Amino acid sequence: MSPLLWNATLAIIKDTFREAFARRIFWGFFGCCTALLLFLLFIMRVDVVAGALATVSIFGNTLPSSNVQNLVQQTQSVIAGILYYAGMALAVFASAGLVSSVFEPGRIELLLSKPVSRAHLLLGRYAGNVLVVSANILYLVGGSWIIFGVKTGVWGLGFLLSSLCTIFIFSVLLAVIVLIGVLLDSSAVAIMVTFAIMIITPILAQKATLERLLSSEWSRDILRLLYYALPKIWEVRGIVQNLIMNKPVESWMPIWSTAIFGAVILAIGIWRFQKRTY
Amino acid sequence: MPEYAIETEGLTKVFRNRWSGRELRAVDDISIRVPRGTTFGLLGPNGAGKTTFVKMLLSCAHPTSGRARVFGRDSQEAEARRPIGYLPENHRFPTYMTGWGMLDFYGALSGMDSASRRKRIPELLNLVGLDEGAHHLRLGKYSKGMLQRVGLAQALIHSPRLLVLDEPSDGVDPVGRKHIRDVLQALEQQGVTIFLNSHLLAEVELFCREVVIIQKGKMALAGTVEELTSGSGYKVEALAVPEQLATELKAKARGFTVVDGTAHLLFANREDANQAVDLLRANHCELEALARTKSTLEDVFMKTVATAVEGPAK
Repeated sequence: MSPLLWNATLAIIKDTFREAFARRIFWGFFGCCTALLLFLLFIMRVDVVAGALATVSIFGNTLPSSNVQNLVQQTQSVIAGILYYAGMALAVFASAGLVSSVFEPGRIELLLSKPVSRAHLLLGRYAGNVLVVSANILYLVGGSWIIFGVKTGVWGLGFLLSSLCTIFIFSVLLAVIVLIGVLLDSSAVAIMVTFAIMIITPILAQKATLERLLSSEWSRDILRLLYYALPKIWEVRGIVQNLIMNKPVESWMPIWSTAIFGAVILAIGIWRFQKRTY
Repeated sequence: MPEYAIETEGLTKVFRNRWSGRELRAVDDISIRVPRGTTFGLLGPNGAGKTTFVKMLLSCAHPTSGRARVFGRDSQEAEARRPIGYLPENHRFPTYMTGWGMLDFYGALSGMDSASRRKRIPELLNLVGLDEGAHHLRLGKYSKGMLQRVGLAQALIHSPRLLVLDEPSDGVDPVGRKHIRDVLQALEQQGVTIFLNSHLLAEVELFCREVVIIQKGKMALAGTVEELTSGSGYKVEALAVPEQLATELKAKARGFTVVDGTAHLLFANREDANQAVDLLRANHCELEALARTKSTLEDVFMKTVATAVEGPAK
């Protein structure tokens, strides 16, 4: 990438952050994350006797030190779960506005009049948006990882790696938001479609059970098609849990098939953006 | 260096309704050439296709057929937009940006490095008359006139060779308008090509050398302002014109009105004007004024638009 193009990319990313700050999106997330970190900091009591960990108390439950690792991993799993669904829903809700604002008449014409390709403009905005959410996810996960580590001495890397899975799923859902934004200029529809995916995919994850319930072959084919085409949000959540609990990951298929979905959706979004008249 | 800043050949844009299949030819086979360093005005009533034409130059809209070139490059190439500075009509600058921040952002997108931006921004803000206090004020607090000025600064940030301005003095007070005109005149002297899309005909007449009038997407008239406004006539004003003589003069005159007892007559040529003066003097009417008149761009525009709507006179 030439230095001038790199300058332009940085400017687009910086602009996304500035807009996120101005819309209080960033600070909203930051506030929620900080509140959760403070909560963790104060609910966890650690007793050290003669230089060794004696007991740990979380949510009022006192445990012997031998169970600490298990307890920490379970708590981290709960935090990752909250972040994975509730945090993701909030991030989708906030990001839809950040994407559609670029397509506003009077703003898009000026952006398109600059010597930057449309693909570059869209990808810059996409990257900026992913970074805004990533910064908060890493702040929360990194912060709580340090709190757990300092207080209990449990420094498992699985929790940190799980945050990358959460960022990955968000970036796939953001591709859907971008595509709907390009096609319809509507943040409301983008939110609805993305939420629909978040709701439908855990149901589709019960493929084996559903196949038994369906009577016709064609309906089973449609189920399989939907299952393999849509992102594997539920299954990736399983991978997140395994990473935290230090269990082996049985299959990485949910990751790569979801990545293909995201890449295809983003490519269609860029292609439509390039063809569109403003 | 190419001879023309803008060249279009049969540029056409058709909007099709996906459901009804109906078509709207917003721009229909327009071919123009804008020489480098000139001031060029694009005129037309609302919905004539001016903005669509400009959008095709900037690749915001893709032509259905034909092509547009900017300094010899196809307008659809990103590089073709590097020498262009653009101020859109209904701009919506991000309100969370300050004047400085906005210029910095669009400067970076225009391919400027940060050192050049830091040097250029204060110069430009001062050039368009925004004081120090406004530099770090959010755009949401700017008045319409201030937004227009900072918008002009944005268009000039990377020292463009072609300036495309859509209603640049919209919402600006007369003093500000004069200021913008002075800035543009200075740029013209530096050899910058200025392409102006404006409803203010007097402004275009005062500033542009060449104009094109488009109507219903088609090119209705093109030429230099001097050529187009050269159509002249003669104006005669007289007091107390008797009714019989008024009827006789009305038949010969191109225009006849009576305001506060003064008859205002307009003749197409000198002979008719002289005959009218003879008749008026023979009837002891006092002459108030006798002058040669020149068409204004507004006259030309109104006539062109009316002809395009009604069809040519037979």
